[in-house]
Amino acid sequence: MRHVLLAAGFAALAIFLAMFALSCAPSHSDRIVVGSKNFTESFVLGELIAQQIENHTRLKVERRFYLAGTYICQQAMLAGRIDVYPEYTGTALTAILKEQNSGIKSQVYQRVKSEYERRFQLTLGPAFGFNDTFAMEIRGEDARRLGVKTLSQAAQFAPQWRAGFGYEFMERPDGYRGLAATYGLRFAEAPRVMDLGLLARALQDHQIDLAAGNATDGLIAAMDLFVLDDDRHYFPPYEAVPVIREQTAQQHPEVARALAALDDKISDAEMQQMNYAVDGQHRDAKDVVRDFLQRKGL
Amino acid sequence: MARLSLAEPRFANPSVLLDTQRNFERLAISGILGAMPAAANNAPAIEFRNVSYDAGGREILASLNLEIARGETLILLGRSGSGKTTTLKLVNRLLEPSSGEILVNGVSNDVDIIHLRRGMGYVIQDVGLFPHLNVERNIGLVPKIEGWSAERIRARVQEMLQLVGLAPDIASRYPHQLSGGQRQRVGVARALAANPAILLMDEPFGALDPLTRDELQREFSALQRRLRKTVVFVTHDLREALRLGTRIALMESGKLISVASPADFLRSADPLVSAYVRAFGDGLESALDRSNYDRGTS
Amino acid sequence: MNVARYILQNHTQVLDLTWEHLWLVGFSTIFAMLIGIPLGILIAHRARFSKPVLAGANIIQTIPSLALFGFLLPVPWLGDRADRLAILALTLYALLPIIRNTYTGIKGVDPAVLEAGRGMGLTESQLLFQVELPLSVSVILSGVRVAVVISVGLATIAAAIGAGGLGEFIFRGLAMVDNRVILAGAIPAAVLALAADLAIGWLENRLRPS
Repeated sequence: MRHVLLAAGFAALAIFLAMFALSCAPSHSDRIVVGSKNFTESFVLGELIAQQIENHTRLKVERRFYLAGTYICQQAMLAGRIDVYPEYTGTALTAILKEQNSGIKSQVYQRVKSEYERRFQLTLGPAFGFNDTFAMEIRGEDARRLGVKTLSQAAQFAPQWRAGFGYEFMERPDGYRGLAATYGLRFAEAPRVMDLGLLARALQDHQIDLAAGNATDGLIAAMDLFVLDDDRHYFPPYEAVPVIREQTAQQHPEVARALAALDDKISDAEMQQMNYAVDGQHRDAKDVVRDFLQRKGL
Repeated sequence: MARLSLAEPRFANPSVLLDTQRNFERLAISGILGAMPAAANNAPAIEFRNVSYDAGGREILASLNLEIARGETLILLGRSGSGKTTTLKLVNRLLEPSSGEILVNGVSNDVDIIHLRRGMGYVIQDVGLFPHLNVERNIGLVPKIEGWSAERIRARVQEMLQLVGLAPDIASRYPHQLSGGQRQRVGVARALAANPAILLMDEPFGALDPLTRDELQREFSALQRRLRKTVVFVTHDLREALRLGTRIALMESGKLISVASPADFLRSADPLVSAYVRAFGDGLESALDRSNYDRGTS
Repeated sequence: MNVARYILQNHTQVLDLTWEHLWLVGFSTIFAMLIGIPLGILIAHRARFSKPVLAGANIIQTIPSLALFGFLLPVPWLGDRADRLAILALTLYALLPIIRNTYTGIKGVDPAVLEAGRGMGLTESQLLFQVELPLSVSVILSGVRVAVVISVGLATIAAAIGAGGLGEFIFRGLAMVDNRVILAGAIPAAVLALAADLAIGWLENRLRPS
């Protein structure tokens, strides 16, 4: 019995030490792991990053898409499980750095970049070019009928409306709470919390009258939705940027170069089109991204 | 050998206890412990002085005074609850007296408890063999922790097996593979392995069938004639007491009723003693004769 | 089979995530053993503590795991790294089976054996290491086995807070509405749990003093 116990003890110890040793070493030095969050625009951008790296470097790319949110992606970056993923400057500022959003694009970008480098050993690549800020959407027919173009104008109709928001918008400091305070929004009942993918449909079906969507929603044009102007500049900028681990950037400067080539290459409208292609036309994200890259000559 | 007079209760004077401790240690270092202390042959091996024991508010032993001579087999006889097992356990301090003191070889037993117990063999009714060790390791456990060499232990184990009438190949068997009689023989062998001067036995043959009990009693008698250990033997069986004891101490309700040789015991006029004798019916003389037969004196 | 093909095509990722999973389970089980076995020994020897300790471990067990993960997120040092947090939570959940089985194992040692041991002059620590623990090791291991199997399951939930592991496949598959991805996480996790159960069970049998 003693021998079995000793053998088992040694085996366990050996496994334990091996795990310890291996965890200290980089887990994938020859591969780049690209992450993304779990909504269309995020994994389109993730696919964009992945294909750009594949096309311009000799590195193998692994995709870890559909991670459930900002915090999950941040944790995966810190743990070294992913090397790069697309984030928004405004989200990084408020949700991760927990700071107030100033509303000036370049300031936000610089602040996020310097803080990420200082605190997390993560760095930002150049922005992709579009500003995916929150879009408060109403039905096009309502906009025309009531003659509202801005959020300030819409506020007077709020008591007659039902609102529908995604979970993150409800909870985030730069979400519903601040918006309601800034514009004095008061709805008849508490806003409904729904899955992001269902908001557009609910709006169309008159289940809700106001939804918090994104400026680059593919369905805005397709479903005749109107985006109310943020005339009090409540919503901070949300420039899409690639976030990279400093270690990865140092070990593979070709990755940083490949991503730099994407600087300011995507306009709001172009992002909307790509989103619609995937969401509305149900095309494969891989094909949509490949077409885009070809068209842009990248 | 100095005999300290400690008339006061044991906890009164700590410095006196320290002297006692040093005395005991001196004896131990000189290697005398474990063999018969040379001086004062007529000093009792074990002595109870005004020993009382309380538990749970009840008085189990009341002011016990008893001397056990070296080399004798003293039987503690009595019914259940008479205090005989308690008395036994006070010798190796499995129980601590509430008042009074116990002297072993003229020195208070309030010394290093481990050393005290290693110098005594302890045999109980349920035997308590270590189920995960084979016979050899069971018998050799105390010698092993005392630091004997493997050679010496092996030789000693064989010696003990022979002493208790077991075949040498039993050494590799495990307790669950042994019969009740074999187990108790191993128990006795284990108790004798480190050559203690004193043997404490608590109804050791009580759980055995009559044939095996008879066998073991006879062998024990022979063994005792050879080894001349000081034995304190607890039993409720008068026949066993008459057969094995040099003196019988009858206990009832925590008090010592009488101490007498087996022959004197049978002839005693004390009402409690004669009640006990009567309870065992006829034919006790033959038990007595048997003991003389066992002893080879008739 | 689609799932098999998917797993083969993405075998590096499956292996990565399996490794992460083992990491979470392994560390937490070891910590739980380092804390739980001594605690179990303590309460077996001191009856006074047995009720509060067992009750405490029981209460931890009743907290829904996702809730516990959520509670710990705002905690300063812990919440910064999801894997740290997950390992703490998994350790807490592994405590009850380990403490309880250690307690049962040690209390189950035949009192005659202990009495004989004490009477023979074994010190309390010799009694513990040479008698009580060898006799209880099988029961203690069975508690470890239960803890490991529970941990493998719980670790899949830890992916919800970003700790990685095979659960990530499951959550991603749910978001993608792709069964292959879900199964690419669920099947290896089940295999892991089974393998641990069998391996430790075998060890238990070998070490049981028959």
